[in-house]
Amino acid sequence: MSRRRHLLRYLASRLALVPVMLWLIASLVFLLLRVAPGDPIDALLGLRAPPEARALLRQQLGLDQPLLVQYGRYLVDLLHGQLGDSLTNNEPVTAVIGHSLPASLELGVVALLIAAVLGIAVGFSGIARPEGKTDLAGRLYGIGTYALPPFWAAMVVQLVLAVWLGWLPVGGRFPATLVPPTGSGFYLLDSLLAGNTQQFWGALRHLVLPAATLGLLLSGVFANALRLNLRRALDSDYVEAARSRGLSERRVVLRHALPNALLPVLTIAGITVASLIGGALLIEVTYSWPGVAFRLQEAIGQRDYPVVQGIVVVVAALVVAVSVLVDLLVALLDPRVSF
Amino acid sequence: MTSRPLFHSALAASLPAVALLSGCQPPHPTGQLVVASKSSLASVDPVDVTTHAGLQLLSAVGDSLYTAAADGQLKPHLATALPQISPDGRSARIPLRRDVLFHDGSRFDAAAMVFSLERFRSLAKMGYLLDDRISGVRASGPYELELQLKRPYSALPALLSSISLAPLSPKAYRQHQSKPLADRFVGTGPYRLVSSTPQKQTLLPFERYWGPPPRNRGLHLVTLSNSTALFGALVSGEVDVLTSSGMDSDQQRALAQRAQQGRLVEGIGPAGEIGYLTLLSDRPPLNQPLLRRAVALSLDRELISQRVSYGIRAPLRSLVPPPLAGSEPPAWPAYNPTEARQLYQQAGYCQGRRFTLPLTFRSNVPADKLFALTWKAQLQRDLSDCVALEITGVESTTAYRQLADGAFPMILFDWSADYPDPDIYLAPMLACSKPKGQQCLEGNAAAAGSFWSAPGLQAELEVSERLSGPTRLPLLRKLQQRTAAAAAYIPVWQVAPRAWAQPRLRRPVFDGSGRLVLQALSVR
Repeated sequence: MSRRRHLLRYLASRLALVPVMLWLIASLVFLLLRVAPGDPIDALLGLRAPPEARALLRQQLGLDQPLLVQYGRYLVDLLHGQLGDSLTNNEPVTAVIGHSLPASLELGVVALLIAAVLGIAVGFSGIARPEGKTDLAGRLYGIGTYALPPFWAAMVVQLVLAVWLGWLPVGGRFPATLVPPTGSGFYLLDSLLAGNTQQFWGALRHLVLPAATLGLLLSGVFANALRLNLRRALDSDYVEAARSRGLSERRVVLRHALPNALLPVLTIAGITVASLIGGALLIEVTYSWPGVAFRLQEAIGQRDYPVVQGIVVVVAALVVAVSVLVDLLVALLDPRVSF
Repeated sequence: MTSRPLFHSALAASLPAVALLSGCQPPHPTGQLVVASKSSLASVDPVDVTTHAGLQLLSAVGDSLYTAAADGQLKPHLATALPQISPDGRSARIPLRRDVLFHDGSRFDAAAMVFSLERFRSLAKMGYLLDDRISGVRASGPYELELQLKRPYSALPALLSSISLAPLSPKAYRQHQSKPLADRFVGTGPYRLVSSTPQKQTLLPFERYWGPPPRNRGLHLVTLSNSTALFGALVSGEVDVLTSSGMDSDQQRALAQRAQQGRLVEGIGPAGEIGYLTLLSDRPPLNQPLLRRAVALSLDRELISQRVSYGIRAPLRSLVPPPLAGSEPPAWPAYNPTEARQLYQQAGYCQGRRFTLPLTFRSNVPADKLFALTWKAQLQRDLSDCVALEITGVESTTAYRQLADGAFPMILFDWSADYPDPDIYLAPMLACSKPKGQQCLEGNAAAAGSFWSAPGLQAELEVSERLSGPTRLPLLRKLQQRTAAAAAYIPVWQVAPRAWAQPRLRRPVFDGSGRLVLQALSVR
């Protein structure tokens, strides 16, 4: 069988599992939400409402139906691509995700870029003299940034750069006094396409702190991964062979060792992207960044079942898609991977 | 080979970049102000709005029939006079203003008011506000509204001062008569809602407003999700005004200190929120009135207020907060450990036997947790031989869910009034549709978790609802004295809304419903 056919088979086997995984996740979220104490009626009405008002709202929202009926309706809607409407404001869940997902992706992509640049720079810095001062500093940086609690780091950065120095905004995604750009929901891109520099700088100023904090915290993982893999690659036979052919050290590192060392980093980047889509919760909350994680946290507090279910299913689908894509890329780039 | 130069040059480039970005602050439009608060706003439709932030917004873009001044006095707003009540007290006629326009240019009249009230009754999450009182609404003239009441209700003007009942343009809401409209609002208020997202709303003055125009040229209401960010945004000058709702006491105190130093200006409104303990009165261990009274005497409100909130949450010994009628004199006893010890002794405790007092608090409300910990320490200090507090935290929605099941012997809650009247504080805790001796089997008192009632209490509540003015006052006092004697509820503190503004602005002012008067915000 040709390599291409093998690859297609590998892809098909990965994709075949996707619907099963999504069904499992959707069902788990549905069940866990209902098993958890508290319900949307209490979250919506609080203490005030008399029992009749509670019963009426429960009926209006379809929460008086047996659990199996609710589950059946939920699955049928899901199969038709309908995620339902928010219980708090009746907004379609697709619209809720449509507003918040670009914010998370924009933050995630910029943070990942910062993490990659910083991580690679730090991981690379100790290569010339292993176990030297720079190498040690790089290792400490990797461990330190990885171990820092995100909410603490975010609050310190916020306090110093936004509150004390007043250099950058404390939170939010866009200046309050400006009208945000329209289009894809990616403010940097939309404002660039519109040629509106005021909007662009406004969006960038708000993005810098959350993206830099997130990037900084993630960069340690990249740094350590690159450092370890680069060290392993530099000790390998093919690098030794390259050196013996009289190639310069720069050429040996950049052309021979680095590409091989970057492959595991690509896998880490994939996992990081997947976790960033829905997992930058503490950063989003600290910086009031209106992304999916922030919205999910609000929806959980309000017991807004459709929003929680919708966000989890969409994020899960994206995570699965990114994982499959990364596996495929690694399989394509690394001839050692068999499939 | 080394990449140190690369690292250094990246660092060297990042500092000027931050400096450049810090200089790129967008210009502040002249006369427009940024007001920040903690709560995001999922919907601006009155039928959806249940939060303080939502009601705050509605008060700027909508009008109510009556308004409450800061001293609690009600005055006609979209109405031109107080309701004319029929002799049997079961119908009320309300004359309306003739010079009012909606933001879409259509005219406000009685038909529009009927449309809005009917829509609220059929769709609103807080529809019970009207359902409990009003059986019918109709236009008895082009500019006259007639309400049919289920029973005589003296607080009708106060009820109609609720901003949730603001009229909406029937023209704009025709397609949304039976479904909410989350991101638009077309009312009659001093501002038009120009744009709305959960994190930000932009308001511009409505040029054809019937009343005095706003003192500013527009507002941007923004949400920041945590107390530190809110504090930082005001201190760094990023926002002009900050409201206290949802802010931690530490930050509130720091802002108040800055205001004392003249670095900010502070405004304080009338307390609309109370914190109180509900005691489960029909099951052990607190089914003994003697023990409940001992618990009421064991609470050092002054100390707790200082330790939990630096005095921001003022001690309260009445279920009705000042300045509302019936709030003075306080019906609940002050802290008295000597008397408390005597009562515990009478109940068989203190002589080598310690009463374990279970307290549940909402774990997601920081002030509640601090209250529980402080009270526990205070009892340990003052009455450790008689009583020990056993504290348990549960998430608030879980607490609401299990309250009516009688799951909590004692729990701390808070309560905010929808409109300024004693009835809205008393009825939700005391009303009972199925009383039996000292017990409430069904009704508000059961839903509130105390299950307490008393012979004749319901009749007194109904009479209180009918009376108004000075004749009502003795009954309000009596109702509270009876409740205090039974100690089925113990008021703890009251929370007054606060706002801080940059020193170049006028002092923020509040209305009688505890909402910031946004149209009064302006540069000195």
